[in-house]
Amino acid sequence: MNDILKVGDQEFNSRLFLGTGKFSSTNAMIEAVKASGTELVTVALRRFNRDQAEDDLYGPLAELSNVKLMPNTSGAMNAKEAVRAAMLGRELSKSPIVKLEIHPNPHHLLPDPIETHEAAVELVKQGFLVLPYIPADPVLAKRLEDIGCAAVMPLGAAIGTGKGLSTAEMIKIIVRDANVPVVVDAGLRAPSEAACAMEMGCDAVLVNSAIAAAEDPAAMGAAFKTGVEAGRMAFNGGLMSTSEVAVASSPLTSFLSNND
Amino acid sequence: MNLIVNGEKHEHTGSGTIDALLEELEANQAHTALMVNGDVVPSESWKNTALNENDEVEMLVFVGGG
Repeated sequence: MNDILKVGDQEFNSRLFLGTGKFSSTNAMIEAVKASGTELVTVALRRFNRDQAEDDLYGPLAELSNVKLMPNTSGAMNAKEAVRAAMLGRELSKSPIVKLEIHPNPHHLLPDPIETHEAAVELVKQGFLVLPYIPADPVLAKRLEDIGCAAVMPLGAAIGTGKGLSTAEMIKIIVRDANVPVVVDAGLRAPSEAACAMEMGCDAVLVNSAIAAAEDPAAMGAAFKTGVEAGRMAFNGGLMSTSEVAVASSPLTSFLSNND
Repeated sequence: MNLIVNGEKHEHTGSGTIDALLEELEANQAHTALMVNGDVVPSESWKNTALNENDEVEMLVFVGGG
């Protein structure tokens, strides 16, 4: 079945986006990326340090075919810094895709909606495909769509908490109203939660900690791949409606008791 | 020439272009993005961009991130 995800002019067969942070080694990350089937991975920017050259992921990721890079703006405390980070990321990725994230408070890492909106306006103007990481706020999601963001990425729970789809009701509203892809970003812990997000009609999920912090990241990458695919297939298949009363699956004709 | 590179003092002894600084610091050009005094400088112009005394240079690479 032709079920391509389009983000701006970019097309993806996989609806699982992967973060590359927190892995125990570059090799573990690469194996998880391969096992997950992802075609879009996030990367962060850090100051060059020639004594830590092994942390430079440009080379290892460039060797993967079919995987695009999405630089994030992590570390930006405000719109101005985020725009600058996005421009630097584009210099390396040679691609307009950017994950816009501005979360100034290290205790909860929740996105700053006002700075995010301001940065998104500027980045769209500069020709970026902007995928903003946002609170699960339907009004903000719509405003970001209106100013030209290529997708919206509401959080399921706070980054790295593994608390799952704690914002499910708000995400349902975002999905119902959105005309751009909705990507659940942050908070997922289990592949079943990714499947649940996809069943709700989300267009993709972005997962990092759940895979990077798993005992076997490659196995968890494969599990999330299957979870995302199952959820998407279920959404396309059309879930049955619920009922307040039991509805029998087998015929209830009483042929056993009427033959006395 | 005295520069501030990634927040630390650095005495550059090369020809004073961005290219020369990257070579001096053994940075892979294709893997590096760069700002001078807060402005992003595209790699196409590194060869011809002369640095000035006390310029603040930020050199950045891709690392793991979510």
